Amino acid sequence: MATEKKEELKIKDNEEQLRIVGMHCATCVMTVSKSLKSVSGVKDADVNLATGSAKVILSGNVKLKELVKAVRKAGYDVVTQKFAIKLNVNPEEMPKIERKFETIKGIVDVKSNAGLGLVSIEYNPESTTPEKILKEAGVKGEIIDERRSERSILYKDFYDILRRLIVGIVFTPLTYLFPFFFSILASIPVQFYSGLRFHKGAYRALRNKTTNMDVLVSLASNILWFSGILLHTTFYADASLLITFILVGKTLEAYIKAKMSTEIRIEPYKATLKDGRVVNSNELKVGDIVIVRTGERIPADGIVESGEGEVNEAILTGEQKPVLKKKGDNVLAGGILVNGYLEIYVTRNWDRSYIVQVTESVKEAYNARVSIQNLVDKVSSIFVPIVITLSVLTFLIWKLVLGYDLYSSLLFAVAVLAAACPCALGLASPMAMLVSVRRALKRGIIIRDGSILEEIRNVNVAVLDKTGTVTEGEYVIVSKKELIKGALDLAAIAESRSIHPIAKAFHKMNMKGGEVEQFEEFPGRGIYAKVNGYDVIVGSKDFVKSNCDWNVEDEGDILICVNGRAGGIVSIRDKLRDDAKRVINYMKERGIKVIVATGDSSAYADEIGKELGVEVRKGLTPDDKAEFVKELRKNGNKVMFIGDGINDAIAMREADVSIAISSGTDLAKSAGKVIINSLDDVIELFEQAKLGVRKIKENLAWAFGYNTVIIPIAAGIFYPTLSLYLPPEYAALAMGFSSVIVSLWSLVPI
Amino acid sequence: MIIDPVCGMEVDEKSQYKTMYKGKVYYFCSSHCLREFQKNPEEYLRSGPKGMPHGH
Repeated sequence: MATEKKEELKIKDNEEQLRIVGMHCATCVMTVSKSLKSVSGVKDADVNLATGSAKVILSGNVKLKELVKAVRKAGYDVVTQKFAIKLNVNPEEMPKIERKFETIKGIVDVKSNAGLGLVSIEYNPESTTPEKILKEAGVKGEIIDERRSERSILYKDFYDILRRLIVGIVFTPLTYLFPFFFSILASIPVQFYSGLRFHKGAYRALRNKTTNMDVLVSLASNILWFSGILLHTTFYADASLLITFILVGKTLEAYIKAKMSTEIRIEPYKATLKDGRVVNSNELKVGDIVIVRTGERIPADGIVESGEGEVNEAILTGEQKPVLKKKGDNVLAGGILVNGYLEIYVTRNWDRSYIVQVTESVKEAYNARVSIQNLVDKVSSIFVPIVITLSVLTFLIWKLVLGYDLYSSLLFAVAVLAAACPCALGLASPMAMLVSVRRALKRGIIIRDGSILEEIRNVNVAVLDKTGTVTEGEYVIVSKKELIKGALDLAAIAESRSIHPIAKAFHKMNMKGGEVEQFEEFPGRGIYAKVNGYDVIVGSKDFVKSNCDWNVEDEGDILICVNGRAGGIVSIRDKLRDDAKRVINYMKERGIKVIVATGDSSAYADEIGKELGVEVRKGLTPDDKAEFVKELRKNGNKVMFIGDGINDAIAMREADVSIAISSGTDLAKSAGKVIINSLDDVIELFEQAKLGVRKIKENLAWAFGYNTVIIPIAAGIFYPTLSLYLPPEYAALAMGFSSVIVSLWSLVPI
Repeated sequence: MIIDPVCGMEVDEKSQYKTMYKGKVYYFCSSHCLREFQKNPEEYLRSGPKGMPHGH
């Protein structure tokens, strides 16, 4: 099960994650999505505007090259990286090696130069690395290209817009200051360099039989520019101002987007090996020993081999207080050694490390869609044609119905084109989602599926696991009775093989030595072991009694059976967590029915229920819990399951919302869509969900509201009565800023 | 090798599908066989594996 879950955290075999460059509005998303889906063998494509990424689900044998080609054909780009290697092979071997490379996942293109022994590889940095590629191909070679930083590629788009904006800022004032001929000259760089992005975007959209924001901007600025030249008016200067104003907004938006999408990326750390060599943490292997000094970051997941020190794991858990780590303790990559000296035995490769898995999970969560997005997509797809129609109607009404002159009619029509903004619509929900998931992460809550932000609000039943969730999970034995001499020792030796919280209570007993020849664990029920030749069964009453000749009166929680006979009785207690009551009350106030489901069948389970004021279902195996969740859902409930992530994996999979309380290293095993550090985080999660969904709605309200208000004003409905109108260049400024406001508003934590 | 008492297939001791009945551990090839056994263990122990009833 553990390996199965680990796989789920990574990109699955039938999936490919792509980073798309050049998308800036909802219609771009539709275009990219359409082009990806047109590749045969693609089952589905989920394109996200805020992160600029696409998740492609493949049903057949699709070459990555085809996907990249399709996106590029649609006029967008896919972030790929290239590296070249020098191989020491004979030229005739090259084609074979080339073919070998081509079959590796994540490879986009392979070009080889047999003469020079060079292979140039284009790959998808989202799914592989040069090191992985070389390892999978089983070839050894020297990487000769310095890898271009992904960050720089992601900022490329921003710098491109910025350059165009600067040209606009320099030349636009001149178009107003210079006399006619020179001012036309000054408007050319703005219209055809600064505005080229929009014209190009419009061209490729129309070629792909779709429309986007670029069509509106390009249309508006070209109508103004050409009519200005033809009609000898200063419209061409207005065209320059329109383009410049829109670029202001676009530059800001591109900056926010680039910054947000790169922030979550984790670059490998520097690691000092024991022999003094400094390598990148992604080059470390299991079994390496790394040295960490005060102030340095822990470069890998591992176990402290020697030394001692305090580690700040805020990046992983959100908890600022440093934790003391000493020999034998687990450490995770990303933590900072505040003081001390540690030698760490590396236990996990970089790409399997907790922090990388968290990053992967969070990136996945960004792509989640909220139900309202489907409506938004529909609106976006017909938005531009509607706006163009409105613009034409505006012109016709002013010119033909109301009898205004050509200039004014044209200005109103162009203002409609320049004012309408589909971008804000497309950005509204993904941006809010991105911010919510990031904000939760900063508080140590890992949201692996963003859609739960929406789902959690509809939850009406919460099922909580008892041990380790509402209780501390640290059992102590409060009474013991030995019916066969030595039974308790045998039980303790047998339990030494188990990591179950109840078993840990036995670990504390002062046991005599013994050999465990056979050991079987039955989750939720108990264990069987052969110890020193004795058959020992330890577990719940039902389990032990059905496997033992039990003929004594018992008053305890755990029974011990030795060689088929009643051997001992033990009573245990577990402490209620401090935050359990607070969290449960919070949920009750929200009208959520809280049920504690536990494998424990003792009277203590009832006591807990009474103390918390909730219903208790006791004596449930992991399967029973899953069955219980299923049953609840069948009866029309929206069920949330909160558990410790390992024993409760099956129940979690059945629940609408699953939350795993993790000790960090268990991430790989946990099944929760959300991973929290303590029960208290549940409140935070509800608050974040509330905030996130509110943001989505506010953003959409802003985006829709903006268009509904500004388009009629641009069309001039207030002109006859109030003389209020919106010149196209100011309409464009408003258009640019609507996306900026949506982006910025998502960031404001209210 | 251990035999799945329901379908008669060979199973490993590492199988995650197992149960204890009357103090003895039984291993199964799948959750399906495990559930079948749990429904009526006596029948399978008395008359032996019934072949592959569930489309292996």
